[in-house]
Amino acid sequence: MGRLWTYVLRYWRRYVLGALCLLGTVSLVMWIPWLMRGAVKVIEQGGSLWDVRYYAALIAVAGVAQGVIRTFSRAFIFNAGRDIEYDIRNDLFAHLEKLPVGFYHAQRTGDLMSRVINDISAVRSLLGPGILNFVNAPAYYLYGIVLMFSIDVRLTLVALLPCPLLMYAVRRFRGRILKSSLSVQRQMAELSSHIQENLSGMHVVKAYTQEANQIRDFVELNRDFQDKNMELARLRGLLGPVMQALAGMMILLVVGYGGWRVIRGDLLIADIVAFIAYLHVLAWPTAAFGWMLSLIERGRAAMERLEEIFKIEPAIASPAVAQAVGNGKQGIEFRNVSFAHDGKVNGEAIIKDIDVVVPRGRTLGIVGRTGAGKSTLAQLIPRLYDVSSGEVRIGGRDVRSLSLGELRKVIGYVPQDPFLFSTSLARNLAFSRDEVSDEEIEAAVQTTRLDRDVAIFPEGLQTIVGERGITLSGGQKQRATLARALVADAPFLVLDDCLSSVDAETEDVILRGLRSAIDEKTCVIISHRISAVKEADEILVLDEGRVIERGTHQDLVARGGLYADLYRQQQLTEELEHID
Amino acid sequence: MANPIEPTNGAARNGKQSAFRPAPDQQPEEEYGKAYDIRLIRRLWRFLVPYKRLFFSALLLLPLLQVCGLAQPYLMKIAIDRYMAGGDLRGLLGIAALLMVAVLGEAVSGYAHYYLTMLVAQRSLADMRVAIFAHVQKLPMSYFDRNPVGRLVTRMTSDVDVLQEMFAAGAMTVLSDFVMLVWIVAIMLYINVTLALVSLALIPPMFFAINFFRHKARRTYRLIRERIARINGYLGEAISGMAVIQLFTREEKSYREFDELNAAHRDANQLSNVYEAALYSMVEAAGSVSLALLLWYGGGEALAGAIGIGTIVAFKEYINRFFVPLRDFSQKYTVMQSAMSSAERIFQLLDTPIAIDNPPKPIVPKPFTGEVRFENVWFSYKPDTPVLKGVSFTVQPGERVAIVGATGSGKTTTIKLLSRFYDIQGGSIKVSGVDVRDWDLSALRRHIGVVLQDVFLFSGDVRTNLTLGESGVSDECIAEAVRCANVERVLSRHSDGLGAHVRERGSNFSTGQRQLLSLARVLVFQPEILVLDEATSSVATETELLIQDALEKVMEGRTCLVIAHRLSTIRNADRIIVFHHGEIREMGTHAELMQKQGIYYKLYQLQYATDEAPKPVDDDTAAKL
Ligand SMILES: Nc1ncnc2c1ncn2[C@@H]1O[C@H](COP(=O)(O)OP(=O)(O)OP(=O)(O)O)[C@@H](O)[C@H]1O
Ligand SMILES: Nc1ncnc2c1ncn2[C@@H]1O[C@H](COP(=O)(O)OP(=O)(O)OP(=O)(O)O)[C@@H](O)[C@H]1O
Ligand SMILES: [Mg+2]
Ligand SMILES: [Mg+2]
Repeated sequence: MGRLWTYVLRYWRRYVLGALCLLGTVSLVMWIPWLMRGAVKVIEQGGSLWDVRYYAALIAVAGVAQGVIRTFSRAFIFNAGRDIEYDIRNDLFAHLEKLPVGFYHAQRTGDLMSRVINDISAVRSLLGPGILNFVNAPAYYLYGIVLMFSIDVRLTLVALLPCPLLMYAVRRFRGRILKSSLSVQRQMAELSSHIQENLSGMHVVKAYTQEANQIRDFVELNRDFQDKNMELARLRGLLGPVMQALAGMMILLVVGYGGWRVIRGDLLIADIVAFIAYLHVLAWPTAAFGWMLSLIERGRAAMERLEEIFKIEPAIASPAVAQAVGNGKQGIEFRNVSFAHDGKVNGEAIIKDIDVVVPRGRTLGIVGRTGAGKSTLAQLIPRLYDVSSGEVRIGGRDVRSLSLGELRKVIGYVPQDPFLFSTSLARNLAFSRDEVSDEEIEAAVQTTRLDRDVAIFPEGLQTIVGERGITLSGGQKQRATLARALVADAPFLVLDDCLSSVDAETEDVILRGLRSAIDEKTCVIISHRISAVKEADEILVLDEGRVIERGTHQDLVARGGLYADLYRQQQLTEELEHID
Repeated sequence: MANPIEPTNGAARNGKQSAFRPAPDQQPEEEYGKAYDIRLIRRLWRFLVPYKRLFFSALLLLPLLQVCGLAQPYLMKIAIDRYMAGGDLRGLLGIAALLMVAVLGEAVSGYAHYYLTMLVAQRSLADMRVAIFAHVQKLPMSYFDRNPVGRLVTRMTSDVDVLQEMFAAGAMTVLSDFVMLVWIVAIMLYINVTLALVSLALIPPMFFAINFFRHKARRTYRLIRERIARINGYLGEAISGMAVIQLFTREEKSYREFDELNAAHRDANQLSNVYEAALYSMVEAAGSVSLALLLWYGGGEALAGAIGIGTIVAFKEYINRFFVPLRDFSQKYTVMQSAMSSAERIFQLLDTPIAIDNPPKPIVPKPFTGEVRFENVWFSYKPDTPVLKGVSFTVQPGERVAIVGATGSGKTTTIKLLSRFYDIQGGSIKVSGVDVRDWDLSALRRHIGVVLQDVFLFSGDVRTNLTLGESGVSDECIAEAVRCANVERVLSRHSDGLGAHVRERGSNFSTGQRQLLSLARVLVFQPEILVLDEATSSVATETELLIQDALEKVMEGRTCLVIAHRLSTIRNADRIIVFHHGEIREMGTHAELMQKQGIYYKLYQLQYATDEAPKPVDDDTAAKL
């Protein structure tokens, strides 16, 4: 909750102004029944018409004035709430941008989204309507009770008889509504996560004719959702009428008991009129009271959910004093690097004691079995993950001593999973920088041989690629991500199996193009195909997170180990052919 | 009920964004039209029909609710004018008892009405959600190419939610509100004509003012919905692509973009807050001024004894009861409007033709031979850019055919057509001698097992990813598939074996491991025709060879179509088809194609050139390809 206060304090002026306006409104509103009482008193006791009209005029003035002031109070407070909502949403987004990849792997997209959208909205309701009623209700009650007492003590006491019942009802409902609405929220998240996943995997659903199963699961979740909604509707629906009935009872008591006293002659009808008017005024803060409490509870729960995210320190961040990226002779170095996802380095490590130097301008090739840890190793360079022990250096400096932005700016990275944004191809390619010239894009398009594909697209580079690049072929997607990295034109380049869906012919042309494009760059190339790495200055063979062989292509082939096997296997067909 | 104080309405509505609307909704969503569109209401009604008894019971409660409500001021008038002024205690108690009945009656019938309405709403909307979901399952793939996931999620969640709001906010009762207003005017006129006219003098100008604000507010509501949808879309994509954003250090840029959307959303909301505040306050002020008018004029009447104090009290009450629905009406109207536009979009989705559906007389040929025949197939995703241009080939039952070709040449498209993910524009595709368009769709797909290039794992565990929750899959079958696809190694790292947890999209597995899992999945289903699209492109060669040997047995007697760029993957193929720019350029056995010295030959040379230096490909040949 501490965080919430800092936001509220940021806008304290508007809250104070809003609260003052509210108090003004309340005063005027509470004045009106008093004036009415005056008017009725004149009528009851037979005064002059102009006395009545005097009161009527005052009521009109008070009514208009309270309307004007009320507009301001609501605008001040609600808009402050909107400003805070905006601030929190921005801050949360900025915070999310700092959280490392590991965080996102452990989260469901749907859940994160609902925090940024729904939970922040709930907090906003707490800060707008919540605070407004928080000021309002006590003010009305205080005024109301004082004024009623000043009219008649006994009648006030009788009128307030149902109050304990009211308190009881509020207490009973409050927790239950909160719990119920939270479970509706949660079930909603479940439901939309299911829908989202079903739609993202629609090609699999269709290919395996899983429609019926998917619908069955959905129906089940949907039924739960319906039940939870009904439960909430029952509680919410009950609170209003209960409050209304209790308020009605108060008026009834006033009419009954007060009327008896009027008949006895020790009370004026004017007093009863004023009481009824006051009770009417109080009816709504009363009803709103329970609602407000559940609003506050919900807002607090939502804030807690936000706090869960806010309090995660970005595990990977720039150091307090960042060094500049060095330009030492050593390009990329792995020094005794080990890595495990939970940070503990023992049997479960994915990278184990890797020690490699890639001199500046040279190329390192990495091959190895599926799941050997190649991608994980590559991800350590731009600090998508941090080493568990040892260090990764770039240009002679520990990557952790550099500013994160600087580090990543000098690395062009092509992830194994091609991810494109749902905008035009051109904008995807120019993603790395604000200003990219057409020539640069053209060059990258040439190098990755996208030119032929683009030539076929009716809209050329302006083709919208769909979510995740859905309207491109597998190879086109991969080459687009490669081109995107080339446009970034960074001195270090990491290519993670980025030509696996590309045919040999295109691959060959791309590799040759790349070789000249990356002449001065320091590269790490991961591949399953010997063709992509055999030109490298050094090749690592990884297995179970360890380097089991290293050397140049010739060395490794000569050595007759795993790499030579791999090479032989990839040549196998040819040998068979020769045997034929 | 008199309500001079802060409402719950506006605030509650704004705070209720319970619906989570994840992804992009780039286009302006909201088409605000009429609040009551007969055509739409008739269609909505169809969802209510199963619950029409409940619905009518709820409606029947409305007159009771209104009578109980409207009786209260009148009873008060009698209590004051007749019994208090007249000093009749017994009469007063009688009236008090009646008042009590009215108060309780209002509460009880109010609750019952709300409960019944919500019951109808929840049940029919749940039906609607299922109807949408089930319909979406049948839509063709081309629909999903064009429509972002987020927008469809929005249809099933927040759009349906808006409809629920329509029920909850009582928008359905707008008509009965009107009836009530008429009643109030009638009662007031009945009690005292001149007094009624004086008290209601403000209504015509109010009507104009409310109308003015309604117009203003309507525009901002539309903006708000559009803008929150944008935020959703942006956010969804940013979260999925966060690694890319970070790798290219575009955090600041995305922050700026997000900030812009966020600020636009805030501005629209603040504007609407001002309108709402003004409207609300205006109605409140009008209530007070009407009271003043009442006293100004009625005071003289009362002093003259023409009316009692009770009449003034009753009039005050009626004025309040008149203005509250008037104020809410503007809100209900907007709820109604957005409900109509939500309904419109939902029905649009439900009306989307299931372009690819079962034929009227679906055929399931028996016996199933497993023959696949493409005859002069023409296909394009977008008009005028054909992706397949007259493709013809036949795969004999039990034959193993490989498809190779440059990227983007139409290989994946070919197999998507085979499973009838899209319908072709020319020619025919026959499976087992029957055109796929005449096949029973799900039977067809069940006969064909495809491992798609786009690997997709569901969150859950490994086992459900292999069986997809299909019951009746034997453990042996799974074990066999696991062994075949070399998934054992993948699972060795996980202590839970098949129960190993799979995160969204399988993010806790390496790319190759994910491919192995999706390969195992197809093996579990044991299809007659096996189609592998780059199923092992990210798998180490060693593993791939192991898999191939294991697959030998599985493929025995099955028709197989294998797409691969690595020629080692297809070394066991009986025949090879070479695609080029959507046409078949070469077809034949390995030896034949080598002899031909065409595209295949070149690919082969490139991959298996024994000399260490890469073979230079002169620009001529590159250009030809
Ligand atoms: N859903 C789609 N909407 C529009 N165009 C598409 C869609 N899918 C593919 N295309 C286009 O159709 C052409 C053929 O794509 P296809 O996926 O069949 O190629 P492919 O031969 O499988 O290539 P790769 O080897 O790269 O996977 C490409 O130019 C691609 O951009
Ligand atoms: N987020 C994660 N949490 C836990 N384990 C993970 C996670 N990501 C990867 N792993 C595991 O770490 C190991 C190494 O994965 P990595 O992606 O580095 O393999 P790889 O060598 O790149 O394989 P491939 O050739 O298939 O791409 C795998 O066994 C994988 O299951
Ligand atoms: Mg990898
Ligand atoms: Mg493909």
